[in-house]
Amino acid sequence: MSSVSQMKENSETSKWLDAHYDPVANLYTFSSCIALADLHGDGENKLVVGDLGTGSCNMKLKVYRGTGLMSENTLLDLPTGLVSFLMDQHEPRTPAIAVASGPFIYVYKNLRPYFKFTLPPLEVNALEQDVWNQAREDMIDPLSLKEMLEGIRDKADVPLSVRSLRFLMLDPQDTEAFVNLHKAQPIRRQTVITCIGTLKKNMADEDAVSCLVIGTESKDVYILDPEAFTILSKMSLPSPPTQMDVTGQFDVEFRITVACRNGNIYILRRDSPKPKYCIELSSHPVGLVRMGKSVVVGCAQETLQGFTQKGKKLWTACLPAPVTTMGVMDLPTRGFQAVLVGLANCEVHLYRDKNLISTIKTPDVVTSICFGRYGREDGTLIMTTKGGGLIVKILKRTAVFDDRDSAPGPPLAQSIRLNIPKKTKLYVDQTMRERENAVAMHRAFQMDLSRLRLAAARAYVKALESSLTPMSSSLSEPLKMNAVVQGLGPSFKLTLNIQNTAACRPVMNLAISFLYDESLYSMKTAFFKVTFLLIHHISHFLFIRLFVRDNAAHIITYIIITVSHNNMCRCVA
Amino acid sequence: MPLECLLCLSSSAPELPILERRNWLIHLHYIRKDYETCKAMIKEQLQETQGMCEYAIYVQALILRLEGQIQPSLELFQSCAILNPTSPDNLKQVARSLFLLGKHKAAIEVYHEAGKLNEKDWEINHNLGVCYSFIKDFHNVKQLNAALQLKKHDRTFMTLGKVHLLAGDTDKAIEVYKSAVEFSPENAELLTTLGLLYLQLEKYQKAFEHLGNALTYDPNNYKAILAAGSMMQTHGDFDVAMNKYRVAACMVPESPPLWNNIGMCFFGKKKYVAVIALTNLEDVDNARRSYEQAVALDQSNPLVNLNFAILLYNHGDKKGALQQYQEMERKVNILKDSNTEFDPELMDMAQKMAAALQVGESLEWTKPVKDPKSKQRSAGAPSKAPGSSQQPLGTNQALEQAMSSAAGYNKSITLPTGVSPHSQPTPPSLPLEEEPDVETTPTSRAPQPEESDPSTTLPPLAAKPKVKKNKLKQELN
Repeated sequence: MSSVSQMKENSETSKWLDAHYDPVANLYTFSSCIALADLHGDGENKLVVGDLGTGSCNMKLKVYRGTGLMSENTLLDLPTGLVSFLMDQHEPRTPAIAVASGPFIYVYKNLRPYFKFTLPPLEVNALEQDVWNQAREDMIDPLSLKEMLEGIRDKADVPLSVRSLRFLMLDPQDTEAFVNLHKAQPIRRQTVITCIGTLKKNMADEDAVSCLVIGTESKDVYILDPEAFTILSKMSLPSPPTQMDVTGQFDVEFRITVACRNGNIYILRRDSPKPKYCIELSSHPVGLVRMGKSVVVGCAQETLQGFTQKGKKLWTACLPAPVTTMGVMDLPTRGFQAVLVGLANCEVHLYRDKNLISTIKTPDVVTSICFGRYGREDGTLIMTTKGGGLIVKILKRTAVFDDRDSAPGPPLAQSIRLNIPKKTKLYVDQTMRERENAVAMHRAFQMDLSRLRLAAARAYVKALESSLTPMSSSLSEPLKMNAVVQGLGPSFKLTLNIQNTAACRPVMNLAISFLYDESLYSMKTAFFKVTFLLIHHISHFLFIRLFVRDNAAHIITYIIITVSHNNMCRCVA
Repeated sequence: MPLECLLCLSSSAPELPILERRNWLIHLHYIRKDYETCKAMIKEQLQETQGMCEYAIYVQALILRLEGQIQPSLELFQSCAILNPTSPDNLKQVARSLFLLGKHKAAIEVYHEAGKLNEKDWEINHNLGVCYSFIKDFHNVKQLNAALQLKKHDRTFMTLGKVHLLAGDTDKAIEVYKSAVEFSPENAELLTTLGLLYLQLEKYQKAFEHLGNALTYDPNNYKAILAAGSMMQTHGDFDVAMNKYRVAACMVPESPPLWNNIGMCFFGKKKYVAVIALTNLEDVDNARRSYEQAVALDQSNPLVNLNFAILLYNHGDKKGALQQYQEMERKVNILKDSNTEFDPELMDMAQKMAAALQVGESLEWTKPVKDPKSKQRSAGAPSKAPGSSQQPLGTNQALEQAMSSAAGYNKSITLPTGVSPHSQPTPPSLPLEEEPDVETTPTSRAPQPEESDPSTTLPPLAAKPKVKKNKLKQELN
C-alpha cells in the first residue's frame, strides 16, 4: 500500500516543477487580488498582487517578476479586488491595472497612478436632507434634530447617512460640536466596492478592450466604460455580491454570475436589470469559477457543485476539507481545463467536472490561486498561503492528466480486517465445560436462584417485623415514619419523624394517636393532629414527653390516621 | 480624460468612515471558517464604527452561535434587528436563535414577522414548519409544503417526511421521499431513508434498490450499510455483508447493532461454538413455562406450537401436545392464505408429530435430546423476551451461554446487551414467513440503529442449535 501511495505521490510531483517557494513573502491576499499581466508590453508576464498588509495598514500593490519583487506602490485602503484590462487601442498594447478599494477604483498604467474612479453616491433621504438644512441655518437645536432623525430612521425607506447615524450615537454634550463641525458639508451616502471583474466590450479577442464590472455593498452591479469611466449599465441584486464571474461581450450578449452574501448565486444577463436565474445553495459559496458552459461552486459545507448556465444543478462532489479558494486552470494550447480547489487541509485538488484528477500538497493552507502565463511560461500555478508564503509551480510539459476519476472506488476501510480478539485457552476450556456439564450447571443455577429468592424473602419479612423503617401501606398517603426515644428515664422524649415521600402532592388531615398501657406510661397528649402539610423530602419532627412509671419495656403503638385510612406503625420503646 | 490626484483632498470636516467598508472582508473570512481572524476584524470594525456596523454584529452573532453561545447570539441578532428593522434576515436569525433555545412559539412569532417582510422566502416557511413540527402542531406543518412550492430543497423534503412519520403516516412520508429522490437523485441521506421505509413495509426489492443507490453515492453511509448488510445476510451473502460491515465498523466502531450483525454473520457462517437449548437441560418445568410465554407472545408462528407439542409429547402429556398441535394447524392455515413458503423441515416434523399423536403410543418420539435441536429453533427466541424476570430464567441461561460463545468471536457483544431483554418488554418480532432463520430477525430490526436496541436483534442467537460435536471441536481448535 505504501508503495502505491508513494508511486502516486511521485506521479503528482512529477507533474509540477517547484519553481519558487518563499515562505516569508509576507503576502496577505486573496484570489480576487491577484493577476498576471504583461505590464510593460515586453512579452513577459508579471505577477501583480494587491497585498492587504496587516489588514488595517501597510497595504501595497506589489509586482513580482521572476522570483523577485519588482516594485511596490502604497495603497490607501484595503484592496478588494484587482484586475488587469486593456482600456484603449493605443500602441503599445499594455494592460492597465484596476484596484478596487473602498468606494474607489484606482487605475494604474505602467505602474503609475493614472485615474481614480469614485462610485456614484447613493440617494440621500430627502427628509434627512431637510432636517440637516434646517440645522445648518440654526433653525433647530441638536436635541430636536436628534428626535427628528430618530423618527426618520425608524420608518424611512432610504437609510440614513453615516453622519446622522453617528450623530444619533453621540452623548448629549457632544452633539453641538458635532453639528457645528459637519453641518456645512453636504450629506453624502457612499458605498463600497465588494468585487470587480472585466467584460470584453465588443470583441472576443484576447487583446480586446474590456469594460470593468463592479459589484457594490449597495447590492448593485455597474458596468463601466473603459475609456470614459462612465456607467454603461446598472443592475441590482437582492444581496451584496461577494464574487463574480463575467463572460461574453457587452455589446453582444453577456452573462454575469454573482455569488451573494445571502448564500445565493444570481445570473445576470444583458438587457435585464434584475437577475435572470437564481441558484439557492444550502451553504455559503466560497469559490466560484466558470468552466466552459458550467458554473462550479465550492461551498462552505465541503462540497463542490456544478450548475448549468441557467442554474440547474448538474453534480455534487464531496471534499475532504473546507474550501479556502478556487481558481480555474486553463491551458488553451492543450485544450485542457480544470478547476483548482484550495482546501484547508493543505491540499489543492484539481477537478474536471466531478472527477478529482490530481492533488497537490502544499506546505501551508492556500488562500489564493492563480493559474496562467508568468514570465514566458504558460502553465504556471501561483499560490499564496495563509502564513504569507508565495508558491510558484510550473506544469511540466510531459504532465498528463488522466480523465479517469482518481477518487477511491470502494472505501479503504473495506479491506481492513476486523479487530476480533482471539479465543483464549481459558475461554475454550470454559466452553467445553459448559457443554459437558450443562445440565448440572443449569440445576446449580436454579438452586442458587431459589436460595437467593428465599434469602430475599426472609430479609423482607424481618424488616417488616422489626419495623425498622415503617412505610405507609397506602399509595394515597405515601409516608415514611420513624420514632426515636431519647433520655435516661423516667422521663423520655419521643421524637417522631414523618416524611412525605410523594413527589409533589401534599398530605393533609393527618392525626397521630398513641396506644399504650396507661398504668405504665403517661403522656401529655396521646392524640393530636398534624396541622401542617407535609411536603416532599422535608422531615417533620414532633417531640412528645413521656413518663414511665415502671422500668419494664413495653410497646407503644402510634397510629397515623387520615380521614379515610389509617396506617398503623408500631414502635418499641 | 479627467485626471485626478489619487490622494483624497482632506476637507475641513473629517470624512466619516463608511460603516460597511470592511463587510466584504469579514464575510470572506467568515465563509472560509477563519473565525479567529474574523473576530479580531469585527472587534476592530465595531470600535471604528462605535458598534453601528450591522453586518459585523451579525457575523459576530453567527460565530457565537456556532460556538454554542446561543443566548448572547440572540441578543446580538436582536440589536441587529434594531439597527435595521426592515431586514427579514435579521428577524430570521433572531427566530433561529430562539428556536435553538427551544422557544418554539416565540420563534414562530418572529418568523411570521419576518414573513411579512419577505413573503416569498422558502427558508421562513421551512423553518416555520420545523418549529410547528417541534411543538407537534401537525396541522400547521403544511408550511413545509409552501416552502417546497417556493423552492425545492432536500432539507425541506427530509423534514416533511419526518413529520409524516411522526404523525404515523408512512404512505405520505414515502410519497414525499419519492419526490425528494426524484428531485435530487444523488442524496444518499434521502435514498437511505426511503430504503429504510420500504424495508419497514417489507418491500425488500425496492428497499435494496434504494439502499444500493445510497451506497453508490456515499459508500460510507453507516445506516445504509447496516440495512443493506442485514438484507444481504438474509440472503446468505455473508461475505459481502461482512465487507460492508468492515466499512461501517471503521466509521462507527461502537455501534451495538452493527456488532450484533457482524456476530450474526459469523454465526451464519457456522462459526459458532455451542448453543444449548432449554430442553436439552432437562428442565421440563421451565421449558414448559417458556413455551407458554412464547405462545402468548407470538400469536402467528406455528413453529412455537409445534415445538411445544413435541416437548409435551416427549414428557407424556399427550393431551396438551394434541392441543398445541391443533393450534399449530390453525396458524398454518392462516399463513397459507398469505402464501408464505414453509420450511420443509417444519412440514416433515409436523407430519411425524401428527403420526405420533394419531397413531398413538406405538410410535415413540425418540431422540429427544438430539432432535430438538431443530425443533428448538424458534422456541428459545421468543421465550426470552418477556418482561417478568421469573419465568424464562432457565432460558436466559441458555441465552447467556449462547451469548458468551458469540462473544468469543467478538468481545463487543457483551453480556449486558444479551441480558437486557428483561427490561425490554417488547417481544422480538419474529418474521411472519416460515423461515425463522437466525438471519431474518436482524433484517427487520437492524435498520433502525437509532433505536439502539440491540437486545431485540439478539433473540435468534439462542435458536438454531445445529451443532455437531466433532465440528465443534474443530472450531475450537
